Amino acid sequence: MADSENEYSDDEIVTGKGRAAASKPKRAHARWENLATKTHDLGDAADGNIEGVLGGIEEANKRRRLLKDTTPLQRGIIRHTLLVLDLSIAMNEKDLRPTRYLLTITNAVNFIREYFEQNPISQLGILGMREGIATRVSDMSGNPNDHITAVRNLRSLEPKGNPSLQNALEMARAALYHTPSHGTREVVIILGALLTSDPGDIHDTIKACIKDRVRVSIIGLAAQMHICAEICRKTNAGDESCYNVAVDEVHYRELLMGITTPPVMRATDTEMQKRNQAALLMMGFPSRVTEDKATLCACHGQLTRGGYLCSRCRAKVCNLPATCPTRDLTLILSTHLARSYHHLFPLRNWVEVSWQRAREQNSTQCFGCLAPFPPAHEGADGSLPKRAEGASESSRYECETCQNHFCIDCDVFCHEVVHNCPGCQSSAHLPGVEVEEANGNGHVDGEAMETGA
Amino acid sequence: MNAVDATSRSIEADTGAPPSLLTVILDTNPHAWNLLAPSLPLHKALASLLVFLNAHLAINPANQVAVLASHVERAEWLYPTPPSRGHQQVNGDVDMANGGPVQQPPDEANKYRPFAAVERAITSNLQNLLATTTKAALSSTPTTMTAGALTLALSHTSKLTTAGPTSTQTAQSSFNYSDPSSNTSDSRAAGSSAPGSSTSRILILSTSPDNSAQYIPTMNAIFAAQRLSIPIDVLTLASSSTFLQQAADATGGIHLSSTTPTSHAGLLQTLMLAFLPDPTARQSLILPSGEGAGKSVDFRAACFCHRRIVDVGFVCSICLSIFCEPVPDGTCLTCGSHLALASYGRKPAVVPRKKKKRKRVVGEGETPGSAGGTPAPG
Ligand SMILES: [Zn+2]
Ligand SMILES: [Zn+2]
Ligand SMILES: [Zn+2]
Ligand SMILES: [Zn+2]
Ligand SMILES: [Zn+2]
Repeated sequence: MADSENEYSDDEIVTGKGRAAASKPKRAHARWENLATKTHDLGDAADGNIEGVLGGIEEANKRRRLLKDTTPLQRGIIRHTLLVLDLSIAMNEKDLRPTRYLLTITNAVNFIREYFEQNPISQLGILGMREGIATRVSDMSGNPNDHITAVRNLRSLEPKGNPSLQNALEMARAALYHTPSHGTREVVIILGALLTSDPGDIHDTIKACIKDRVRVSIIGLAAQMHICAEICRKTNAGDESCYNVAVDEVHYRELLMGITTPPVMRATDTEMQKRNQAALLMMGFPSRVTEDKATLCACHGQLTRGGYLCSRCRAKVCNLPATCPTRDLTLILSTHLARSYHHLFPLRNWVEVSWQRAREQNSTQCFGCLAPFPPAHEGADGSLPKRAEGASESSRYECETCQNHFCIDCDVFCHEVVHNCPGCQSSAHLPGVEVEEANGNGHVDGEAMETGA
Repeated sequence: MNAVDATSRSIEADTGAPPSLLTVILDTNPHAWNLLAPSLPLHKALASLLVFLNAHLAINPANQVAVLASHVERAEWLYPTPPSRGHQQVNGDVDMANGGPVQQPPDEANKYRPFAAVERAITSNLQNLLATTTKAALSSTPTTMTAGALTLALSHTSKLTTAGPTSTQTAQSSFNYSDPSSNTSDSRAAGSSAPGSSTSRILILSTSPDNSAQYIPTMNAIFAAQRLSIPIDVLTLASSSTFLQQAADATGGIHLSSTTPTSHAGLLQTLMLAFLPDPTARQSLILPSGEGAGKSVDFRAACFCHRRIVDVGFVCSICLSIFCEPVPDGTCLTCGSHLALASYGRKPAVVPRKKKKRKRVVGEGETPGSAGGTPAPG
């Protein structure tokens, strides 16, 4: 027990740096303790207007989330993931509301949606752990609706028995066995129980998983388990950030949604990719048609009015993605591919604007949303209260490429939702580009690609 | 419980009049308007547009409009009036914050004041815009900055609309961005087809062909609109645009094309009948079918290497970049991965495989290796 206790605290420190866990409060400090220290800092900083400081802190927090690395990464975007849900008796606990089980179902549905949003041509399958065995909930497929229906149907099922991590891992391994080597193989386990009833030695299974390049991430709902930490560490090349225990509903959701972001390829994976040859795949982008009279589709031979015409042979298929039945061409909705392009050309971070710079540019309104800024001349004499660390003193953020100033809301919005800079996109002449021409600024994709070519 | 009573009452109060923001993106490409001049001169189109905007303002006093010009080398606000950076004096700020034009207009006794303000701002800003267009800018490109205008419209809309909903959402306001489905999915699951809290929408009056260099920014904007559940309506007045078709399709907006002189004459009618009803009202209306096939959507994409619009392309399995021809020396132009040229025909795993789990028992020692389901290159 003492061992696992140590393991636990070590793990926590490491996960503090993990991708999804960045916002997670450390267990060592309870939430209320954190709050208390925060207010203390605030008392020090605030000489006058407390509202300004509070606003600054909020802004700084928003900003911190944004300031992640935006260098384009190779991401294994064709992912093969198995989501393993705990359907054991432990899921009846009500510590997460309404119950662990119902919350897990809701979260799983959202996970499926977001997963396909982020990983458009990836595959997902769902398994369950119940009564000591692993059960198939839905097969590996690229259609979110199949999975959502299957998961919704779980509602009528009562959680029962004990989970078995070994059985689940073995089944997952088998399901991932045939997946092509240019994709990732991931298993995501949601574990509510604090035990696993395995038929054999789970360490053999772990070894087999490593051999098959299966990465396992586990989200615990109760407390840390030594074996889970071991599974995650070993299958992720020593990376301990893949095992997390959810402290509350919001954290649970954050952890699960964090997994929908395509994983960064590790060095070993890159080698693997090299060896297995990343491929150039020929794909067709068919157009959708609607017809006055129903015709037979080439895939099922059913009468349908409308569908997609293969860009090569004009055969009609009823759903995308699909393989053209006659020519073996992969047909895909180009919008599915386009969904992931913001990972390739991330928007560069914007910089804080000093009062001096604000006066130089004489910016009075946010370029994106036209919200007024605090006037630049006021900040000059230091009459405005100092704002929290990380927030811009003039409430402005500047895109270095187009040199426009934006408010914090637009900063967050542009980096997390649109992934475009309103300024760069709405002007053909960008001052920043002319200055640092050769820098191949990562986010104006036109430039980025031309320099790459 | 009391809660039941309370919710039903609040719903009743809500149904009254959800204010909505209508953002119109006017494609002011001089080339295209020059071609359109015989059947639809810009000033006539503008007059129709103003009537349309007034109609939107008149439906609900809380309604708002915003107008953007997507011009040849820049996208600019027509309404509300943007600051002209550099020579704007500080005392001008107060007026602009109200969204009004810089100079106070003389009051016209016969005009509803908001109408007059919108009209004046738009016409004077448009005149400014056209007057400051240089010959060099005109000759440089035949298309317009649609992506920029869309991005501006979206930032503006999101600022105006998220101010309300975020407070009523979950305790963590951060969540509406990182997980957009959080609120929409729940309402969908409940079976209510309410169009969400924001009733904003965007209308694009398009006259220019696609600028394939803007493929990715346009797509990004489309997905953002989808996340915010803002429908993008498109009315094509001249050459049709593949990207905008996809925009309307993906966001649940209306795509109509009106490219003949007859339909140009009825521009106002098209605007009023097809685009004025809000998304809730549209559910019970039947769309006037424009020329061309009703629901067909062109899903072609632009290649990354030459900006050609393609219907068959080569896709890098690492980064999903689209190329119109096999990449030279097998290196992806975007991510630099080495790509196996020999395996064109290889299927990516987008088709559900019908495989059974019986392999599981066959001993845990065997490794699939690289041969699992994929032929070795060469
Ligand atoms: Zn079919
Ligand atoms: Zn802003
Ligand atoms: Zn910019
Ligand atoms: Zn090309
Ligand atoms: Zn690539």
